[in-house]
Order: sequence, then structure tokens, then C-alpha cells
Amino acid sequence: MKDYEDKTLMAYADGELDEAQRAEIARAIELDPALARRVEQHRALRAEIAGAFSGVLGKPVPERLVRAARQDATAGDGEPVSRRGTVVPFPGRSSRAPTAGWRLREWSAMAASVALGALISWKLLAPEAALIAPRDGGLVAGGALATALDRQLASAQSGNEPVLIGLSFRAQEGYYCRSYSLPRVSTAGLACHVRGEWQIVTTAGAAESTGVRPAASPPPAVMQAIEARIHGEALDAADEESARNAGWNSNGGQR
Amino acid sequence: MMSRTTPADEFRAQLAALLPRLRRFARVIARNVADADDLVQVSVEKALVRAEQWRPGSKLDSWMFGIMKNAWIDDRRARGRRAEVALPEDTGEHPAVSPDDSNTNLWAVSEALNQLPEEQRLAVALVLVEGMSYKEAAAVLEIPIGTLTSRLARGRTALATALGDPP
Repeated sequence: MKDYEDKTLMAYADGELDEAQRAEIARAIELDPALARRVEQHRALRAEIAGAFSGVLGKPVPERLVRAARQDATAGDGEPVSRRGTVVPFPGRSSRAPTAGWRLREWSAMAASVALGALISWKLLAPEAALIAPRDGGLVAGGALATALDRQLASAQSGNEPVLIGLSFRAQEGYYCRSYSLPRVSTAGLACHVRGEWQIVTTAGAAESTGVRPAASPPPAVMQAIEARIHGEALDAADEESARNAGWNSNGGQR
Repeated sequence: MMSRTTPADEFRAQLAALLPRLRRFARVIARNVADADDLVQVSVEKALVRAEQWRPGSKLDSWMFGIMKNAWIDDRRARGRRAEVALPEDTGEHPAVSPDDSNTNLWAVSEALNQLPEEQRLAVALVLVEGMSYKEAAAVLEIPIGTLTSRLARGRTALATALGDPP
């Protein structure tokens, strides 16, 4: 049986091969379980690394960074923070001393700004356009949508969240998918967690909220997309939570 | 008060919207949370100074990651080799992890990442964590695709071994 370079299998797992090569490897995998295992290891590692950092996206952004990005609109002078001398000079820092100092300084600042940060991240950081972004001919979730898909549990929603999660399930191919709705913009859709990203499978206009939790009843186009993919039952609250905690890693949480 | 939206406002709003991803990228390549957020701040300030160099319509994330990569490499050079041995082991502090991280796997993964050479960690950060294509990642790092894939493959092998799942 023909052996393949690890680089080739890696590129296959990453979806980077051209169609002819991809088809060749796909055939080889069917004949050679060892090859299939190597590809699966690449996918699993990718999911593990990406999953480990996915939680960072949901963390409130420290206020100093928001102010830097917006050139501190409240001060109104439009000057970068560094020129006003309020920034910690990054390149000049000694290698060790700041670590211990940072903890106190940063955490007291964090404590004060966590609530504000959460507010700001919604008020300032979420232009609707950034919620879904084009990527490689498809669409991926970004911003608050990606964060909600990563973190938010349908079982723990108040119904007032800007993003509402509907059904979560495992697709026949093994990855997880979640339906969502964006009540503010009357949009709903289905996103699947593939290669560390929430790829938008379908989006559709959602009916105006009727008082029923919109997430509970996806529009027909989304429902069809769900039915075309779902393997078994939708996740219950416990499974949803363990899949979330495993970073929507398609190898985790299997029963 | 703020009724007009200028291109500069638009640029700043897009930059602000990218902050969570910039922080994530920084946390993959930097060795602790403080350095990571400092890297984000320095890079954001650099970006604002050269905002006019960014071509509207091109990808802001790629552009920002390029700025961050350069800022990080400059910083490593400025600190020199001393930092390499001083951090992270003898501080007792875990790199890239802050006390509110409930994801325990982040610890193991951060530790494994910190064993990688800088160049491999950058490749891993862009492709595996940020989900960029090889082409995009190679463009950000200003290296040929073949170089990127070599670094990525070596980084993955080392990570798999460190995480107890050798290929």
C-alpha cells in the first residue's frame, strides 16, 4: 500500500489539498485504517489546540484595550494611549518583575472593569456585520455569534440574549452543529463546528418574535438544514454542557 | 454627539471588534497573559498610527496578525536570550493562563506550545487556532507556503508528543 508523507496527510486533514489529491487520499483512507488513524490524529490535535483557546473569545476585553482600539473616544483628543504615557512600555519591560506586579495591578483593574467590559463588548464591539464573515468561499461565525456558539447553553438562556442558541446536535460526519437566532436582526441559522470554527451552514430570516422563545422554533430553511445533518437526537442539557466544556471537539463527549 | 461616522471611526470600530481574536492570538504566542495583552495593546496602537496603510476591503485580521507578529518578534529581540531562560519555569506562574480559566486543557496545551520554537508557534497559532488557510498564514508570516507547512508539521509532531498522543 502506498505510504503518504505526514505533510500530505496533515494538508488533507486541514482541507488544503486540491480536489485530485483529496480524492486520492480519501480512497486510500478507506483501504488503510492506519492511514485513517493518522489523519484522525491530525484532526484531533487541531481540535484540541483550537478548543483549548476558544474560551478566550468569550472573556471580557480589558478596558485599556478597548480604549486603545477606539483611541479613547471619551478623552476626545484622538491620540494613541502610548503618547499620553499611560501605557506600560511593552518592549522595555524586564522579563520577570512585571509578572507578580501585573497580577495585583491587572486584577484590581479587571475587577473594576469586568461589568463595564461586558457591557462595552456589547455596546461597542458588536457591529452586526462582524458576526458572520466570509472565509474561503464560505461563511464563518465571528464576534459575539462565535462567542455564543462556543459558550452559551440553550438550557441557561434568559431569552434576552442578543444571540439565542436553539438545538445542538452531532452531525453524521461527527462534528457538532448548533442552531441560533439573532432576534435583533431577525435572522436565524445553523452553524457547524468544523476545523475549529463555526461554519455557517445556512442563514434565514426569522419570523418576528411572537413571544415564543424564537430559538425554540427555527425557521423552515434552518429546520431542513438540521434534518439533513442530524445524527440521532439533539443534545440534552447535560450533553450540551459536556460538549461545550470539551470545546465542541468532535472527538469529545461521545457516548 | 457622535452622529457622523468617518472612515477612521469605521476602522476603529472594526479594530475593536477584532480584539477578542487578537487577544486569543496573543495568548497562543506569548508566554503569559500580561505579555499577551501588552502585545495586543502595542499592536493596536501601531495599527492606528498606520491605519492609512490598510487597504479597505482587504482582511483586517490578516493585517493585524502581521503587525502583532512583527511586534512580538521585535520584543523578543529586545529582551534577548535572558528571557528565554528566565521564563516561565522559575516564576511558578503558568504561561498564557489566567486564574479564571476553567478550561483545564488550556494548561496542558499552553505548556506544550511554550516548548515550541517561536516560528512553529506562530504557524500553529494562525492555522490551528485562528483557522487561517496555509496561504493566508504564509502571507501573514511572510514566508513561502512550503516553509509554513514544514513549520506547521514539525510543530504538530512536537505538540502531539508533548500532549501524550505521539503520531
